[in-house]
Amino acid sequence: MGATIAEKILARAAGRDRVRAGEEIKARPDFVIAYDFPGYTDVIFRQMKEDFGIDKVVDPSRFALFIDHMVPAVTPQEEELHQVTRDWGAAQGVPVYERKGIGHQVAAELGYATPGAFVVHFDGHISQLGTYGALAIGVRRHLLEAFVKERIQIKVPKTTRIDLTGRLRPGVMARDVFHHIVRVIGPSACRFQVLEIGGNALEHISLEGRQTITCLAMFTGAITAIINPDRTSLDYALPRARIALDPVSSDPDADYAAVHRIDLSGLQPVVVIPPSPANTHDLSDFVGTEVQVGYLGSCASGRVEDLRIAAEILRGRQVKPGFQLHVVPTSQEIMRQAAEEGIITDLIASGAFVTSSSCDYCFGRMGVMSAGQRAVSTGTLNVRGRMGSPDSEIFIVNAAAVAAAAIEGKIADPRPYL
Amino acid sequence: MPLKNLRGRAAFVFDEIDFDVDQIVGVKNIKIKDTDELAKVAMQGYDPDFATRVKPGDLLIGNENFGYGHPHYPPMIAMRRLGISGVVAESFSPGYWRGEIAMGFPQIACPGVLGLVSRWDELEVDWKDSQVINRTTGTALPFEPLSDGDRMMLEHGGLIGYLHARDEEETE
Repeated sequence: MGATIAEKILARAAGRDRVRAGEEIKARPDFVIAYDFPGYTDVIFRQMKEDFGIDKVVDPSRFALFIDHMVPAVTPQEEELHQVTRDWGAAQGVPVYERKGIGHQVAAELGYATPGAFVVHFDGHISQLGTYGALAIGVRRHLLEAFVKERIQIKVPKTTRIDLTGRLRPGVMARDVFHHIVRVIGPSACRFQVLEIGGNALEHISLEGRQTITCLAMFTGAITAIINPDRTSLDYALPRARIALDPVSSDPDADYAAVHRIDLSGLQPVVVIPPSPANTHDLSDFVGTEVQVGYLGSCASGRVEDLRIAAEILRGRQVKPGFQLHVVPTSQEIMRQAAEEGIITDLIASGAFVTSSSCDYCFGRMGVMSAGQRAVSTGTLNVRGRMGSPDSEIFIVNAAAVAAAAIEGKIADPRPYL
Repeated sequence: MPLKNLRGRAAFVFDEIDFDVDQIVGVKNIKIKDTDELAKVAMQGYDPDFATRVKPGDLLIGNENFGYGHPHYPPMIAMRRLGISGVVAESFSPGYWRGEIAMGFPQIACPGVLGLVSRWDELEVDWKDSQVINRTTGTALPFEPLSDGDRMMLEHGGLIGYLHARDEEETE
């Protein structure tokens, strides 16, 4: 019986020839990543020193910190938190990346998504580094373990494999693919497992789209998602890779907990209705629902292809008066490319509010909704109160559908605009 | 340091699948830091008398994929303040599970528990035999054994205690 890519990565990280799902091992993360957030990084820095008497992390080049939430600061306390992060990074020799964009995206741009690497973060959306064949797991408060120990204890997860086949129709995007997967296999099908995405449909899904799919793995119950490296992902990741590792892939006879085959050729745009990321429906069932806010951004979307399709729909048209369309490119690098392509100009001309990369629109720190308002969003989540009042509602759709809704002030099918 | 069996009543049965624990305190209260304040608002949407009815040691019962979504810590901080000693559910969402185990708060994955337990039944979680016993009805069900790491985490009161225990283990 062969091994999955997750088993191979964890075997190397544990210094073993072979590990199998179910075993408990101690594995050395190649990269330990975090963004600063009150009650997380500040507490970790304090606990490291006060509870464990550790002044320095082992091998600071393995660590990376991102300042991407509360950017820019709106209270003195937020800025103080950022300063704690900057000071800690400087004292430790740990790089701090600030105002470069949403960390999960910037981590890929900066080579932390090294194929074959084992990565930990406290936030689960780091799973998107799996796009490049890295095993990136959100471990929540257990991240402290990686700050005070060189190795972390982990149970080798089982893997569920999803083979995607067929080609997406115009107006149907990676965002729809992920939520369709949840609809087909259910929100707990991959509990405590790795979600491995494969199949010939990936040939037609960009790296950006793959990041969208792997980013959201937690909503299948998975602890991360991963894609076996191919030419496209290696061409992006290897020149940036921060460490020299041999990329690995699952063996053809790997032992999977389950294998699902999902045909995408008939897929229509979907909508995930509040208040749960498990509520996937066809978008057509909700066309006409009035919405007042649109958000195009987050670590799950907001990449160049998302901005490009929104601009294509909005070019020569206007956002409906009173509708608030917030467009937040996921990184400064993406912002720059979109500017060069003229996408930013088109979006602004249509009435969109285009703003610098930040996590803050996704979790309701900026652009918040009042009671009774509804949003169409490409954010990660649609639970109550995520983007403001607990009595507002979030409908998750793809970037094209956000643009179409912005024109009509109602949930709309983007395809007639394309 | 063996784990002490949990004994208490089923203080509430959350029968919703994919339950979002933030609803326990309500999203509008999720940023409250004061544990007494949190305890006051807990369960208001489910049973306004919860705080006066619950007794130290009581357990919560959950359905499948308990803790789905982006769970925050305040709901279970409130529950612990009220004396809740653990959660027994059909199954758990990994993010929630990791977060609460790191707090040293027992979580017990027991497939079939909804069929075993009615509200206010007297329960025991027997760690040695890995079973949930319903003392009211005289029935029992096996639960999924904890991983070594999770068990150590609970034995040592959470993540900090666990890491100190690892210090000792690794220097031996």
